[in-house]
Amino acid sequence: MYLIRKMRSQFNSWALLSVIFSVLILLPALLIMVQLFAESNENWEHIKEYMLKNYVVNSVTLVSFTGLFTVLIGVSAAWLVSAYKVPMHRFFKWGLILPLAIPPYIGAYTYHGILNYTGVIQTTLRNQFGIKVDQKFFDIMNIPGAVFIFTMFLYPYVYIITRSFLENQSSSLIENARLLGKGSFMTFIQVVLPVSRAAIVGGVSLVILEVFNDYGVVKYFGIQTFSTAIFQAWFGMGDIYSAIKLAGTLMFIVVLILILEKVIRGRKQYSYSTSKVRPLQPKELKGWKKFAVLSFFISLFALAFAIPFIQLLQWVYMTYDVILSAAFADLIWNSVFVAAIGSVLIIIVALIIANFSRLSKGWIGKVFSKITVLGYSIPGAVIAIGVLTLFLSLDEKVITLYEWFGLEPTLVLSLSISMLIFAYVVRFLAVGFNSIESGFDKVGTVFTEASRTLGMSVTKTFFKVDIKMIKGAIAGGFILVFVDILKELPLTLILQPFNFYTLATKTFQYASDERIHEAAVSSMVIICISALSIFFLHRVLEKEPK
Amino acid sequence: MFVQIKNLTFHYKNSQKPLFENLSLNFKQGEVSVILGESGSGKSTLLRLIAGLEVPSRGSILIDQAVMNDNFRFVQPEKRGVGLVFQDYALFPHMTVEKNIKFGLTKMNRKQKQARMEELLAIVGMEDYASRYPYELSGGQQQRVALARAMAPNPSLIMFDEPFSNLDSKLQLQIRDELQEILKRTGITSIFVTHDEEDARSIGDRIILMNNGKIQDEGLPEMVLQKNKEKLSLAYV
Repeated sequence: MYLIRKMRSQFNSWALLSVIFSVLILLPALLIMVQLFAESNENWEHIKEYMLKNYVVNSVTLVSFTGLFTVLIGVSAAWLVSAYKVPMHRFFKWGLILPLAIPPYIGAYTYHGILNYTGVIQTTLRNQFGIKVDQKFFDIMNIPGAVFIFTMFLYPYVYIITRSFLENQSSSLIENARLLGKGSFMTFIQVVLPVSRAAIVGGVSLVILEVFNDYGVVKYFGIQTFSTAIFQAWFGMGDIYSAIKLAGTLMFIVVLILILEKVIRGRKQYSYSTSKVRPLQPKELKGWKKFAVLSFFISLFALAFAIPFIQLLQWVYMTYDVILSAAFADLIWNSVFVAAIGSVLIIIVALIIANFSRLSKGWIGKVFSKITVLGYSIPGAVIAIGVLTLFLSLDEKVITLYEWFGLEPTLVLSLSISMLIFAYVVRFLAVGFNSIESGFDKVGTVFTEASRTLGMSVTKTFFKVDIKMIKGAIAGGFILVFVDILKELPLTLILQPFNFYTLATKTFQYASDERIHEAAVSSMVIICISALSIFFLHRVLEKEPK
Repeated sequence: MFVQIKNLTFHYKNSQKPLFENLSLNFKQGEVSVILGESGSGKSTLLRLIAGLEVPSRGSILIDQAVMNDNFRFVQPEKRGVGLVFQDYALFPHMTVEKNIKFGLTKMNRKQKQARMEELLAIVGMEDYASRYPYELSGGQQQRVALARAMAPNPSLIMFDEPFSNLDSKLQLQIRDELQEILKRTGITSIFVTHDEEDARSIGDRIILMNNGKIQDEGLPEMVLQKNKEKLSLAYV
């Protein structure tokens, strides 16, 4: 009886839409799960026997060290930026997000280009100073090199989430710690770290999933991981069964990590208990401390952004007259078009599921919010295969329908761009969702409740109150998703319609053909669009009423 | 009886033990009732149940003869016509005082809305603050706006969750007197939740003493407080 009434109190169009979207998002993964238990073949036995251990060790090594370093760098940068004022403070505040604009695969080939035998460092040493250094000292095409690349271009995930948490967290906690006689370092260890644990874990889990998903860096550096193995099984051997089994194994590891994340985050929900939110006031630094913090910011910004950016500029200068053409404008249009549509869809779906999930309080809502994260935990290549299977089977139905009406049967859906966009939604929903969910967490439910006792329904409340209170989170989520789609590689490589290239897939094509200089122009466009959106995001967050 | 609560049972989702078990309680029309209890005694949850913000596991709630929930029905909070003043006021930070007060006035035209808004600002003595944003107001002013907003749609019942806890003590006394005066003048049925004995004594027509989800005593303020003096002083030492 209670259950029926409880369901009735919660059943509305929000619940219905959430169910429909969640089912759609689950479908590709389910298709893969179903086929995971198919009989194994010779290839898989071979992979299991001789190669699997290597994939596991490489993937886990990459993930652990990247996770560790991104936390160290991301959290310390976030704390230093929020709590202290140094010269060029405003510049670093958003400048340290900028590396997010450089996709790791672009960073990888750029650094390789800088450090290889014909690169700027070696040639300068040879030609200007007559010094010959063994190339092995400059080799970054190995696991430590990949960890460096991932850390430099992914730490902003940890930095952004932790920083916005620290800044918007009622500063009274930190001020109180100071008043209670704690120095800066102890405040950081005893107050800042524990209260921002949920934010840090959220940031680093994005980094980890990003590393598992990566195909560009490891392929370019020749490191065997799960994703290169999946590509090899699928494209190299045409063996979907092995690809699915590899993906299933990877999914198992990822699920373990997600459970771990849940355990570490615990039941803690840090949300404001008052409607008065005061931002943290940064403190002026002096003397050697100022110098130390400033050098940290400068070196981080140089390594993660300025150096590769300047190198790319030089290559752009070398090649722009060959590259820039009408075909190139098409490339830009394609990329922006799919990214914009994908992001809008994701934000709408994320808003619906997040709002339902937070208002339903019980386990049902939690289940939905977990489903949305699923896509992000599955590597892009695997989603692509799942989506492809789904659309091909839908097309069979469509063909029957066409024949029914006496029309020419064709593959409609699986050759269309809608398949690619659908796959983006599955893949990146989590990015938009996390941002919106944390926006909701921050404002709590009290305003919604106030609105409802004043006679507004859930839907009216959503448009008049909820959505306005999380404007920043919505804009933030949109921009993160947009940039992610723009940079996306493995999924797009598989699902792009015939003769349809995006900036990312074209760049990768150039780089894999060792035409690094030609790749620079499209890389630069990706970086500039991403950087612009990041700048815009930063402005929106700045202006958000506190 | 204006509000009738019968055999109400309620669990929080993470706890095995029910907070309320077969709780029955009535509130008279036009009366100012105070639920007095320590924090964690369940008094705020009771308000949330009456407002429809929590779903009980069993039992029924009637307001003005209409069933709000029983074993088959559950009326959504927006349909209950109940006003609630939240502990931290929950004024919408993106709206001015004027917009906040007009928020609940859905069935009026523009003119009526304006008139009602002005009427309420006059009642709470905040005529000059219509265009301010909540963060530009002091705690006491926010409190008055929250009251005006809750009263604007003319609810049949208005409830207050620890309304004075965010105010300094001098302001507490002043607002308490004002509030009592407003409530008497409008004759609206109201329920207060507080942990403060003095608040209960001065504002209530009746006190309900609550502990661990159970009603310990109820009756006229002086009687209840006198009778339970020892228990209360123990609890508040």
